[in-house]
Amino acid sequence: MVKHYLPSSFQEALEIKHQEDVMLIAGGTDLMVQHRTWSELPPQFDKPLLFLFNLAELKYIKKDANTLYIGSMTDLETLLYHNDTPPCLKDIIALMASPAIRYVCTLAGNIVNASPAADSLLALYALDAKLVLTSLKEERIVSIESFITGPRQTIIKSNEIIKEIQLPHQPFNRVHFKKIGGRKSDAISKLAFLGLANVNQDHQIDTFRIVLNAVAPTLIRLHETERTVEGLSLEAFKHQKDALLEAYNTAIKPIDDQRSNRTYRRQAALNLIRQFIETL
Amino acid sequence: MKDISKSVEKIDAKEKISGRMKYVSDYKMDDMLYAKTVRSTQCHAKIKAIHLPELPKGYYTVDYRDIPGENFVKMIFEDWPVFAEETVNYIGEPILLVVGKDKAVIQSIIRDITIDYEPLKPTFEYTKSEVHYHYTKGNPKPIFDKHNQHIEYTYKTGYQEQAYIEPQGFIAYLEGERIVLEGSIQAPYYVKNAVVNTMACEADAIRVIQTTVGGAFGGKEEFPSVMGCQLAVAVHKIKQPIKLIYEREEDMEVTTKRHPSKIVMTAAIDSNQKIAGLHARVALDGGAYVGLSSVVLSRAMIAATNAYTIDHLDIEGDVYRTHTVPNGAFRGFGAPQMIFAIEMFMHHIAHTLKIDPFAFRMNHLAKQGDLTSTSGTFRDPILMPEMIKKACDISNYHEKVKTYSDPKVRKGIGMSWFFHGCGFTGSGEAKHINAKVKLKKDDQDVVHLLIAAVDMGQGAKTTLMKVASHVLEIPLSQIRYANPDTDEVPDSGPTVASRTAMIVGGLVARASKQLKAKWAKGKEVVVYEQYQQPDYVKWDEETFTGDAYPAYSWGVNIVEVEVDKATYEVDVKKCWSVYDIGKSLDDLVVLGQADGGAAQGIAYGYLEVMNHKDGKIQQKNMTDYIIPTAVDMAQTETHFIENPFALGPYGAKGAGELTLVGGAPAVALAIEMAINKHITKIPVTPEFIMELMQNDDR
Ligand SMILES: Cc1cc2nc3c(=O)[nH]c(=O)nc-3n(C[C@H](O)[C@H](O)[C@H](O)COP(=O)(O)OP(=O)(O)OC[C@H]3O[C@@H](n4cnc5c(N)ncnc54)[C@H](O)[C@@H]3O)c2cc1C
Repeated sequence: MVKHYLPSSFQEALEIKHQEDVMLIAGGTDLMVQHRTWSELPPQFDKPLLFLFNLAELKYIKKDANTLYIGSMTDLETLLYHNDTPPCLKDIIALMASPAIRYVCTLAGNIVNASPAADSLLALYALDAKLVLTSLKEERIVSIESFITGPRQTIIKSNEIIKEIQLPHQPFNRVHFKKIGGRKSDAISKLAFLGLANVNQDHQIDTFRIVLNAVAPTLIRLHETERTVEGLSLEAFKHQKDALLEAYNTAIKPIDDQRSNRTYRRQAALNLIRQFIETL
Repeated sequence: MKDISKSVEKIDAKEKISGRMKYVSDYKMDDMLYAKTVRSTQCHAKIKAIHLPELPKGYYTVDYRDIPGENFVKMIFEDWPVFAEETVNYIGEPILLVVGKDKAVIQSIIRDITIDYEPLKPTFEYTKSEVHYHYTKGNPKPIFDKHNQHIEYTYKTGYQEQAYIEPQGFIAYLEGERIVLEGSIQAPYYVKNAVVNTMACEADAIRVIQTTVGGAFGGKEEFPSVMGCQLAVAVHKIKQPIKLIYEREEDMEVTTKRHPSKIVMTAAIDSNQKIAGLHARVALDGGAYVGLSSVVLSRAMIAATNAYTIDHLDIEGDVYRTHTVPNGAFRGFGAPQMIFAIEMFMHHIAHTLKIDPFAFRMNHLAKQGDLTSTSGTFRDPILMPEMIKKACDISNYHEKVKTYSDPKVRKGIGMSWFFHGCGFTGSGEAKHINAKVKLKKDDQDVVHLLIAAVDMGQGAKTTLMKVASHVLEIPLSQIRYANPDTDEVPDSGPTVASRTAMIVGGLVARASKQLKAKWAKGKEVVVYEQYQQPDYVKWDEETFTGDAYPAYSWGVNIVEVEVDKATYEVDVKKCWSVYDIGKSLDDLVVLGQADGGAAQGIAYGYLEVMNHKDGKIQQKNMTDYIIPTAVDMAQTETHFIENPFALGPYGAKGAGELTLVGGAPAVALAIEMAINKHITKIPVTPEFIMELMQNDDR
């Protein structure tokens, strides 16, 4: 059996993490699958486990004038039904896994697992999420995009724990989310698309966001491209369609795997982008 | 008397729903050991050497050298080894078992085993034919010469995985000198006969008991014989109880699946725009061992004309050997591939001739008295015109065809017509199976059904007990039907081929009648019945001529879809079905078959993707192998039309496979209408739809 810790406070968790090389486990819906062995045998971990999911102090959703604060052990089902959860994140969670899994899995887990096909990351990228990384001695705040450096790669240090996810409030009056899984529910994305925009009373685009998963080693969001259309009138924006499509077409690098193929991923991604642009 | 179709609570519902039911993986015995299979990592190679670590006390390996009898699993074609000897022919082929008490130790032993291979050149193409069949009806050659308008299309189908909830598993132990095997199986006597052959022992040295089966779909027809033989060899050597349960991924990677196929159809069209002659060439990918693929091939070939009558036929087929996992039985058994091909072909001919597909099909629909593909006779009434009308009315089919034919509309509606021959193909029932049933009334006046039929979730216990209860006019509570044990039940054949309700049920009805006549209160009474082929059924195995089946069930499926313009995803909106299964033995049980069959058949057509890469299965867990969830499942509306069959109990015919075989063509035809492109391959995935839509020709 693998050694494990059940801390009774976040402070205690930080101390253990400081002293020993332990594996953090939140809901375990990625870890238990990745480390499974022959049935009836315990999963195989090469490090002791530090359980976080029981820490009530990390289960909260709070807000102030500028920001929504999500405790890292908040389960997705709670987020799905909370009034303050941004609509696009709700849309995404509703199509993640199945209710049973959602009751025990977390944003933190989805973030640190850093799969190119992770769904919640669409919203976290689009909404400029910030992560609070805490260690016994320090706390630092990093953006989601700087946190994830590659497939299953992040900049988290061995003594750090994600304490909180922060989402700055931003108004969007156009939201388009589309997940393409192998089926309508309980499926891993072949690719997924999130398009957000805020169009003001003068029919100008204030903000514009597109994020795609599963078409590159990490999620795709093109800040410079977004800036080229922000401030444009809808009229002028429509003329940028080809340039936008070209920018995304160049940025995405989909692959063939057991779920789909690169040609389809590219084509479907471009179709979804076009559809979003045309319906703004 | 009550109408037998009226539903009762399923006999095993409470135990299953409450979670109290025990499956073989729940079984524990004193001194029980576990076994795990060491498998080939090569698709085709010579085994040069096997290096085993030193085994701790109480740990064993078991391989071909431990087999007392012959090293093949007795099924139809005798080519499938119990354990590989010098060469391996597919990835996952069993080489040896490691057996012992502690799973962790077994795992570490397996990690320390190395096998040296010398790779051989593999084949993955349809090149090496192992079985070739050919039959004709009428005079195809002159017909093809005379009518020189020939239309040809090639159709391809992929793998399908049974995806039963409970993976394959057995526990085996000694009872004195005898070997007892308890497992999740569809065919207790198949396992017994195979093990007797492998152990080179007397028949009564082997006892096989069916444990509650958590789904099978054909996957537990012949494959369990492989595991049963291995485990019998192991128990014989080690003399302790041993349990062998497959993991999900192991099960998906190494057990039998539906045969991928390639079917070339050629029609000679006469001046009335009718099919004068049909030529079909069927290629099945058998995988590394033929097993029972030849029987799958014959069912596919016999279904070549499906629900149509065509006078002149030339039908050929082959089972090809490839270096991939062996394929085998799966609900439908060759018919789903062929019915997909012929249903699409009928439309593609009509499109080529620029005539209305519906009228074209109606012109060819089989009628009572017509000759079947194998020149037998459709003796019983065929109610298809009435069934088709009903299906069209409830779905508003003709209206929708008009609306959806507009190329701008991405909606479609597709209709399939189909039949399924009930029971074993050809002389199977009379010559090879010869089903027997036994009924025993004990001195408490409780009646025991002693039959080898397996309830794998389809409801056989409920329906067969109802048959006995209705004939004997006693309540269900006075009837017992235990899981078959070969020590207790005669061989009533495997639970396959849509034969259980009709054939075994027919024998149970007859035996019940006999028992009723001999009923003596408070005394034990035992009666037997045995299958007798009706005199009029004649079959020539060599030439494929005569009545291939004693009866046929019929069906119509209509499926409506919408295809997403941006993502090419298919949304299945609704499925309407009308079936003739003779007479329902329980309305809810048959509705369960209908809904499950629709889910599995439609998903075969558009959703379920499995392929191999250099012989390695790519989708080997339930995350990657996509089967429909409740959310994907279309709403269904299902009707049954009564058409009692004289020899079935209360008129019942088969319902298990019928409900699957029409799903794929119905959904493929609907997609074809939605995207306005010919579809010649399933599954019709979004990736494939995209490809088709990027091609400009129709
Ligand atoms: C059936 C099924 C369906 C699924 N469907 C989807 C889907 O549709 N979309 C999708 O995106 N994912 C899906 N997943 C994957 C998984 O559920 C998600 O990634 C989930 O968000 C992981 O959260 P968790 O709390 O279970 O993570 P865990 O498995 O507990 O942890 C994952 C990783 O995060 C680390 N970690 C956890 N918490 C912290 C923390 N506070 N600080 C630092 N590191 C931490 C762990 O050490 C580990 O490396 C599915 C999984 C299953 C089993």
